[in-house]
Amino acid sequence: MATSQPPVGTLAPAGLAVVRPRRQSTASWPLIDRVGYWLCWATGIALCAIALGIVLFMLIKGISYLQPSLFVHSPSPSVRQSEAGGFFDPILGTFILTALGIAIAAPAGVAIAAWLSEYARPRALARAVESAIEMIGGVPSVVLAIFGLLVFSQGFLGFLSQRAANGAVYGRSFFGAGVIMAVLALPLIVGATREGLAQVPDHMREAAYALGKTRASCIRHVLLPAIRPSIASGVVLGMGRIVGDTAIVTILVGVTLQNEAVGNVPVIGTLRGTGSTLTSYVYTNSPAGEGNAPQKAYAAAFVLLMIVLLLNALVTRLTGANERTGGRRRLAGLRALARSAWTR
Amino acid sequence: MRAHRTLIVSLLLALAIAIPAVAVAKTVILDGSTSMLPLVQKLATAYHKATKKSAPKVGGGQSAIGISDAAGGKVDIGDASRDPIPGVDPKGLVFTKVARDGVCVITHPSNKIANMSQQTVTGIFTGAIRDWSQVPGAQVSGPIDLFDRDGASGTQDAFQNIFLGENLKISPSATPENSEGTEASAVAGDKQAIGFVSLDFSVGTNNVGYQGIPCTLANAKSGQYLGVRNFWFVTKGVPKGDAAKFIAWVTKPGNKTVRSIVSSNWIAIH
Amino acid sequence: MRTDQRAERALGALAVIVLLLIAAMAVTVFGKAWPSFSHNGLSWFGSGGDVDTQLRAMEQASPLAGHSLYYFRAWPLLWGTLVTTVLAVVIALVVSILAAVFLTEFAPATMRRTLDPVIRLLAAVPSVIYGLIGILAIAPYINDHLISNARKASVGYVVQLNGADVATATVILAVMITPIMVALIAAALATVPRSWREGSAALGVNRWRTIIRVSLRTARPAIVAATVLATARALGEAIMLSMVSGGRGFAANPLDGITFLFEPVRPLAATIVQNAEGLTIPVLAHTIYAVAAVLLVSAAMLSLAGWAAKQPLKRYGIRA
Repeated sequence: MATSQPPVGTLAPAGLAVVRPRRQSTASWPLIDRVGYWLCWATGIALCAIALGIVLFMLIKGISYLQPSLFVHSPSPSVRQSEAGGFFDPILGTFILTALGIAIAAPAGVAIAAWLSEYARPRALARAVESAIEMIGGVPSVVLAIFGLLVFSQGFLGFLSQRAANGAVYGRSFFGAGVIMAVLALPLIVGATREGLAQVPDHMREAAYALGKTRASCIRHVLLPAIRPSIASGVVLGMGRIVGDTAIVTILVGVTLQNEAVGNVPVIGTLRGTGSTLTSYVYTNSPAGEGNAPQKAYAAAFVLLMIVLLLNALVTRLTGANERTGGRRRLAGLRALARSAWTR
Repeated sequence: MRAHRTLIVSLLLALAIAIPAVAVAKTVILDGSTSMLPLVQKLATAYHKATKKSAPKVGGGQSAIGISDAAGGKVDIGDASRDPIPGVDPKGLVFTKVARDGVCVITHPSNKIANMSQQTVTGIFTGAIRDWSQVPGAQVSGPIDLFDRDGASGTQDAFQNIFLGENLKISPSATPENSEGTEASAVAGDKQAIGFVSLDFSVGTNNVGYQGIPCTLANAKSGQYLGVRNFWFVTKGVPKGDAAKFIAWVTKPGNKTVRSIVSSNWIAIH
Repeated sequence: MRTDQRAERALGALAVIVLLLIAAMAVTVFGKAWPSFSHNGLSWFGSGGDVDTQLRAMEQASPLAGHSLYYFRAWPLLWGTLVTTVLAVVIALVVSILAAVFLTEFAPATMRRTLDPVIRLLAAVPSVIYGLIGILAIAPYINDHLISNARKASVGYVVQLNGADVATATVILAVMITPIMVALIAAALATVPRSWREGSAALGVNRWRTIIRVSLRTARPAIVAATVLATARALGEAIMLSMVSGGRGFAANPLDGITFLFEPVRPLAATIVQNAEGLTIPVLAHTIYAVAAVLLVSAAMLSLAGWAAKQPLKRYGIRA
């Protein structure tokens, strides 16, 4: 972002500012133009005020109901709030689901982006895959969720969730939700990686081929390490999307208050079981859900907001780092936002 | 070559972990009535503690979902908080009575109405009485906000049968809620609201007495309070296997653990 | 070479899996939706009775008098979606154009440095938090201060008013989709060639009119692309709308005047969320999948429109 007026005649700085004349008062403008000017100012200030309002509101309400004990106690089913426990399980659930989703989406996304960018033959297939990825980004997450419920309730996928005593597949588990979350995060990772790959200058590839590397080896050893910040920013954008999604969690994780594992095997049992995440916990405790516990909802929502803001700040730092080392003039972090602006 | 070896070793390792994980005993799965949900969850935990079998898994969704899922084989046992309706319910279902439960008319805590007569309840819930000024004992003013349950609810069915009789239906302008919890929180959040919930969920609201009898657990147990309905376990045919064991444990006459759990907020019948 | 071919085939197979996933999803959703469409025909999209009563009949397995169990008239849901989406996009369009102009043209450097994270913050807040603020702060405020007893009584015969209604849903939805639009439009405004603006200034046009006549007109493709993107986002929003839009399948009546803004609606995506537990009942499942099919088709058409709208943007090197 430009912090000082550049001398006339240089290129506009990399940022969203347009080069503006040194001094121009609006006093000479007709009234209607001045009204427009003031409206613009009012909108800018209003946006800041809304954001400030949201953060302050969640801060005040969240902090007033937040206690350290909430972080370590598991929620327990009770209509009376004093016995209802904390939100340790939902935080764990968020972490598990995000980790699972990214573990599936990151390798897949990077691989697909590498194929689209470096191979992309036959061309028709490549265009079809591109449009498919774009369309996945546009599909509402509820539709993905009910599709996932259908898929994971099939008999042959019973090992991913659990079975009833009469053999019916329950269908809802962290595994199923994790796979669908991976589908949700995929377009973001693919987009970010393709951006990064597009910016690697051709001479790096040519040098690798000249030294005898195969294309696959070039991707693996030259290109991917070079675009690590892009991949990282894509991954963090995907994490932000996963952390913030509620529809898939309420439909596919079989919302139970505590994370109920299936069987005795440590990690796989939890993944096959049901549980809750922060988002479903907030939803359930709000007046739209079961529990009449707005205090717990505020506290959990505050924690959720902090996590999301942290991820957001991380993306800013990663794209900022990319800015400095990038060769081409690009617009600022808002482009990352424009790129990642899809349905939630 | 080295990459192939690590791949094979890791696949074998994954299989070694996965096979015992998959070959795990199946769990009894229940879903259905949101009124029965707290009770059945407590029973499930107690069953696990008493018999060391894996705890049955309990879900919600309301009674119609429970009945339909039991009939379709999607769950082992469906929870229903309404009596079976011949001709409407799918064929071949077996209903096993578990407990009885009180249903209270509730209002906002600031609207402390102690009692309502049969006519007042009928008038309000069918939409004939629309304003609090027409209700004796009301402590708020303005239009009445009526809260109903949605189509899949067993509590709604029970309420209509007990409080309104066979022929009257709740006014269609009422706002439907889809679980006990949302109904209770909706009424607790609106000063002009009135609705109905299971006794266990009436903690944050004002319970309105019916025909002179306050809606309390003691009155429900003694039979003086008339708004009492049955809780059922629904199975497709006679209960079999693990589901049968759970139902047998819950309905065993003289089972002290079960009796103390049920008597805490509901009416024990075994 | 062989490793290269193997790598290409492996990566290509992975890409094809994604393609198959979308195809499978489309096929499954339309396949499960077909019974509902075939029993209702084109009047599925029409009006005819209360949506909630029809869903209730499906849940209780007792068909309404004179109709089959599949009877469903989705117009109130479609109307609710239309109202909230169009109103929100219109509000967001105006606000985001003003904000983007402010960001690129008028804001001093410090304001610009604060607005950038502000906009990213607004975009990053999860929808459940917007819904929580709506249902715990905005809806009660509207209920207490803007919905009078007289207004409630005027529509009380048909529907009950509380704070969760068209107005709350539209306002929060507009706040949710504004950041996306601001980002795109601001990016486009910043790449308007300097010579064009300087030429306009040389002709004596003041800055405001230059912005309106030159910059915004040049950024029109971006504005169109932003609108399409925002509409897709608004259509797909389920959780926030299920919390604050009222949850009743009621066709809000514009002839009620201002009360129209306070009537509850339930957009399509919120309907799916609220009925997700009933998916095990076959008839209800077909109906919900039909709703999902409508959403899927709209999302696909918007995706197409978005692609078409972004083509002119490539001219200015905006990769959005």
